[in-house]
Amino acid sequence: MTYSEVDEVEGYIGNFTVKIRKKARYVDPNLCNACGECAKVCPVIMPDEYQMGLGSRKAVYIPFPQAVPSVYVMNMEDCLGNQPIACGKCFEVCDQQAINYDDTDLIVTREVGAVIVAIGLDVYDPTELDEYGYTRFENVITSMEFERLICAGGPTGGHFVRPGDHQRPKRIGFIQCVGSRNPKVGRPYCSNICCMNTIKDTLLLADHYPDVENTVFYQDIRAFGKSFEDMFQRSKEAGTRYVRGLPGDIEEDPKTGNLIITAENTTTGKLERHEFEMVVLSVGVIPPKDRDKLSSLFTLSKTSDGFFMESHPKLKPIDAPTRGVYFAGFCEAPKDIKDSVCQAGMAASRVGALLNAGKVKIEAITCRIDEEACTKCGVCAKVCPYGAIVWEKGQVATVIEAACAGCGNCGAACQFGAITMRHFTDDQLTAQVRAILHEDPQEKVFVFACNWCSYSGGDMAGIGRMAYPSTNRVVRTMCSARVSEEMVLEAFRCGAPVVLVSGCHYADCHYINANRQTVRRVQRLWDKLEKAGVRPERLQLEWISAAEGQKFARVMKQMEELRQTVTADEIKHGMEALKPKPKKARKKKEEEVAAPAT
Amino acid sequence: MAEKVVNLRCMMCGHEYSEKIEEGVDEERSCPKCRSNSIRVLKQPKKD
Repeated sequence: MTYSEVDEVEGYIGNFTVKIRKKARYVDPNLCNACGECAKVCPVIMPDEYQMGLGSRKAVYIPFPQAVPSVYVMNMEDCLGNQPIACGKCFEVCDQQAINYDDTDLIVTREVGAVIVAIGLDVYDPTELDEYGYTRFENVITSMEFERLICAGGPTGGHFVRPGDHQRPKRIGFIQCVGSRNPKVGRPYCSNICCMNTIKDTLLLADHYPDVENTVFYQDIRAFGKSFEDMFQRSKEAGTRYVRGLPGDIEEDPKTGNLIITAENTTTGKLERHEFEMVVLSVGVIPPKDRDKLSSLFTLSKTSDGFFMESHPKLKPIDAPTRGVYFAGFCEAPKDIKDSVCQAGMAASRVGALLNAGKVKIEAITCRIDEEACTKCGVCAKVCPYGAIVWEKGQVATVIEAACAGCGNCGAACQFGAITMRHFTDDQLTAQVRAILHEDPQEKVFVFACNWCSYSGGDMAGIGRMAYPSTNRVVRTMCSARVSEEMVLEAFRCGAPVVLVSGCHYADCHYINANRQTVRRVQRLWDKLEKAGVRPERLQLEWISAAEGQKFARVMKQMEELRQTVTADEIKHGMEALKPKPKKARKKKEEEVAAPAT
Repeated sequence: MAEKVVNLRCMMCGHEYSEKIEEGVDEERSCPKCRSNSIRVLKQPKKD
């Protein structure tokens, strides 16, 4: 289904209902034979997006040569108007009568078992990097524009000319890492493909125009794939000069339109001045614009770079945290064509395996709702990062177990004990708290650690033989969001001098964004402790990843130092002040139960 | 998106500082002094 967008998604693994908006083409694809007569008579001329604005198109056009189906589409924003019809020339010349000015968007509903997200990428816009003069100098172009200029299907028919004077440039400079590995512009990551793309371009130029002199300014050449090093060597053998060092700025000779680059060659330590007839900015890639919409539709989380986060970077690199959703290509991380094809194949096979099985296996850590205890408040549904809890006002919440990942966030949020997390029940966790603090609680640092990161961070500290005080006692939960306020308070009631709640870093949360609820709970707990006259500093929060053994050890040392500042009187006061007060409603109920039956 | 200034306090080292945040954007915080993640958002005093 081309020229379409996903509007709404409901359901869960194996049972998604997707509403797709088929955009109005204003040209009937079943009748159009792509003769092109409509485009010939169309009076509107617009910059062609596919040609990066270097060519033009009409208001009725085929977006790009390989479009499927190969039929025309009318851009109504560019058309002179259909209400009323202002021009109508395309309609008049179309023998097939394919032009339909009354066409409208169509909403199509599909039931699907799995979803593959492959929404591609966008390219970094270098206009903000004024030093490279992309907006000031005509002969500074991006690598995408270079692609169009050298392509036989491009605006110049493959005749490589510079935009300033339409002459063939003989000295070309390439600047790498434009919008990549640059924290100043908020793009600290490597775009993965630019080095090899430039190497390919230099080989292409050397092949087509042997008299062209190419110079590449780079930080590092990352030629790590199969045969990539060979390509790099061939590029050098073909005469391309590689200068290690990025230019500070570009100047233009107003007479010739040539570009002067001054750069420090960090290999020789010398300042070099170069004159080029054209400069190509090797622009990085950025996450696709539509990602936020899809992110909310499928409850997908993003990494700090803005790409979609996979379920596990090593063990489940194709799976989204939302079960039944898979990634392919750039939307997950920058990658080249080969890796994208590999990932797409893996995603397809994962979907095939899922659909062929006809049923899914779930881990036995999902939540269960006690219908009698449920007060129908709906808090559990609001905090569930997976949308696995269905609730309607006045109705008891229900769990879609196939969608539940077992983070326990709902269990911690429920104030009425109506949710049981299998294998991590309130009773089990509270029993652990009490058992740990049964003897000499004043000498212990009490720690809640999430399974995936903090607990593994502790393992890493142990494997690395990092020394830290032996006073800590750890209770493992699947996610830090499983730790309810009541559990923390219970630890203080049992005499814990200090309590640490630790989980994954924001970008690493294995349950989409469940650990944001941890922060809210800890904030509320600090307020509660302060109100009760308990030093709020006795409760700490830390994000420790599985690789941060050193941080785990450092935090344990800090917690031990903090523990030593807590006096026996403080602990005693906390134990008293945090005792649960009988609720009025509960008291009334208890009285009713106690009253003799009449 | 609207920006607002929040007052924050590190619950590990006691360092107090202000930060501009975009409303509705939830970001990981760490103390600029000691790198602890125990950052408490201090309540704004009520306007009379």
